[in-house]
Amino acid sequence: MKLSTYNFLTSMAIKGVKVGYPLKLTINKKEVVETEFNATFVERLLPKLDWSAIYSAAQVVELTDDIPAVQPENIAENEQLMQKLHHLLFEIDVLDGQLECPETGRVFPITDGIPNMLLNEDEV
Amino acid sequence: METPYTDHLTSHEYEHVYEPAEDTFLLLDALEADLTFLDNLQPRLCLEIGSGSGVIITALAKRFSHGALCLATDINEHACNATKSTANRNATKVESIRCNLASALRTRSVDVLLFNPPYVVTSDEELHNQLFEASPESRHINMSTQRNLVSSWAGGKDGRRITDILLQQLNDILSPQGVFYLLLLRENKPDEIIDKLVSLNFKAVKYMERRIPGEYLYILKITRS
Ligand SMILES: C[S@@+](CC[C@H](N)C(=O)[O-])C[C@H]1O[C@@H](n2cnc3c(N)ncnc32)[C@H](O)[C@@H]1O
Repeated sequence: MKLSTYNFLTSMAIKGVKVGYPLKLTINKKEVVETEFNATFVERLLPKLDWSAIYSAAQVVELTDDIPAVQPENIAENEQLMQKLHHLLFEIDVLDGQLECPETGRVFPITDGIPNMLLNEDEV
Repeated sequence: METPYTDHLTSHEYEHVYEPAEDTFLLLDALEADLTFLDNLQPRLCLEIGSGSGVIITALAKRFSHGALCLATDINEHACNATKSTANRNATKVESIRCNLASALRTRSVDVLLFNPPYVVTSDEELHNQLFEASPESRHINMSTQRNLVSSWAGGKDGRRITDILLQQLNDILSPQGVFYLLLLRENKPDEIIDKLVSLNFKAVKYMERRIPGEYLYILKITRS
């Protein structure tokens, strides 16, 4: 699971959960896969991403020196930051770990890079 | 669009995962025919629900991987694995998420949505329990072949149970400019579905149709009106 994907995941499908976002991420095993930097791609995706979850991902992988807590203005003009975002969002692949609902503590395991977000019948 | 390689998937995988068939290829053909529209749309997030072997979303990922994040969901863990390996085999990237429909995704994000649903008319019992984690007892009897494959085709009344649930959620799934390609069977009553979509403030057209032995298939193309 890439950290760009993490940005789109929520536990709001659980009965009673209001926001369910960002999920609490724990990484047991990850892989860094170098991919070609494409500034336009990062720039176009940014408006769809939630900065609070970008920052919480950066905290988990200890990249908070690179990624500020608050989204800076005119980010596309900052090539260095764009490259760091590219690395955070597209090069780090979580193979094993878990996601936790911030409101209920429900844990969703990540196995072989695939988060299991299925709920039980009595949870929805 | 290139048709993805599937030679890495064997009869062993197809014991648990829906094997690409005429319906799969019709959806691929519809995307291919609508590439100009898709290019103009410049999608940033594509999602296939119920990706099975992953051939459809892999073909899309190969075509749009420079500009779009491609995600796939399935309730069947074997399908999630197969989808990832199909993307790898074809040197592209698709992210698998095991979940019910798009329920784990933030709202109004998806620019291109694809679904070849379980569309066969069956009794509702056959559908029961497909949507949730197996209870400890049934998991014990093994999360078996049968259960996985039944959930790839069993559609309950009119073959519409799963599709109807998705249609109710569509407004929360599609981005403002989003488009949805949905595969249907004549028995699913496509005209009724189009009317229903109109009442939900969508526009739907029969974008492609094809007769195959024993079935008549449609692709609906759905956008916000
Ligand atoms: C007809 S198969 C299509 C597979 C593949 N997309 C194709 O076209 O070859 C339907 C797929 O939907 C999955 N599925 C069924 N119900 C689902 C649900 N509620 N949420 C997500 N996936 C589901 C099944 O496991 C199966 O892989």
